[in-house]
Amino acid sequence: MDAARFEAIVAAYGADAARWPEAERAAAQAFAQTSSEAQAILAEAHALDALLAADADEAPVSVTLTRRLMRTIPSPSPQRVWGVAAALAACAVLGVVVGYNSPQGDDPAMTALGAAFGEGFEG
Amino acid sequence: MTDPDADLILRVAAGDARAGEQIVLRHSARVVRVARRMLGDATEAEDVAQDVFLRVWKAASGWRTGEALFQTWLHRVTINACYDRLRRRRETADAEAGLDVADPSDTPDEAWFKRQRAQRVRQAIAQLPERQRAAIALCHFEQTSNIEAAAALGVSVDALESLLARGRRMLKTLLADLGPDLLGDVGEVRKE
Repeated sequence: MDAARFEAIVAAYGADAARWPEAERAAAQAFAQTSSEAQAILAEAHALDALLAADADEAPVSVTLTRRLMRTIPSPSPQRVWGVAAALAACAVLGVVVGYNSPQGDDPAMTALGAAFGEGFEG
Repeated sequence: MTDPDADLILRVAAGDARAGEQIVLRHSARVVRVARRMLGDATEAEDVAQDVFLRVWKAASGWRTGEALFQTWLHRVTINACYDRLRRRRETADAEAGLDVADPSDTPDEAWFKRQRAQRVRQAIAQLPERQRAAIALCHFEQTSNIEAAAALGVSVDALESLLARGRRMLKTLLADLGPDLLGDVGEVRKE
């Protein structure tokens, strides 16, 4: 870190080291501790930072706006809902079938599941 | 770098409205602040926020983790939405839009002076060229890292530093009467 780079950093990011580039922060802070020229540069930049702080806008987002933004969130599409419902229905049917563990090969539900899941399905 | 929002975006893409709510709660204040500083108008900033989040939901299904931080992308979308509105203002010659005016009925007490000072700062920021304003909004006010801000603005880090330095110099000139400590090299700045 030299004086020119330190001055460039402060000219761009101001006097608060928290805003300085992370990769150069430690070196710049060390330079600031050892240079009177650096202290003068920091003091001048600090004056502008203090003025800009007048516009520090930390007000939370209003409830009205939050609701308005929440309303833009898309609800799950009908296709997705239908897909989830179908999957749940299939699981329910499968559970019933497995629960009964029916030996009957001609059960209509078993036949339907066999068609849905392929030849590998066995009740 | 791990993206702290990646999981939420993937859940939004999968139709999880709760994840969408988390995204809104986590990022809406920042979007509104950046837009307000870019536009100088709180109402218009809220409209920008709505536009931005509609873009988020639309983009979620195509989101690819590892390519860019969600927040960087969000900054970029916000800044671009503001550029669009500023361009439309210029086209309609509504140069005064967005400049809030202090209430003259206010009593000049300490709070009044504080509001006046904030108003002056906002007016000075509004006078910056758009790209300098965007750089200052992200790096100074949001404390976004230089790498992230440069990515959001689509410039190199060197170019970002140039925008920031020019912006701060201009602010110093515009606000010189508010702080005696700022007068140091204003004469020098004005020669540029």
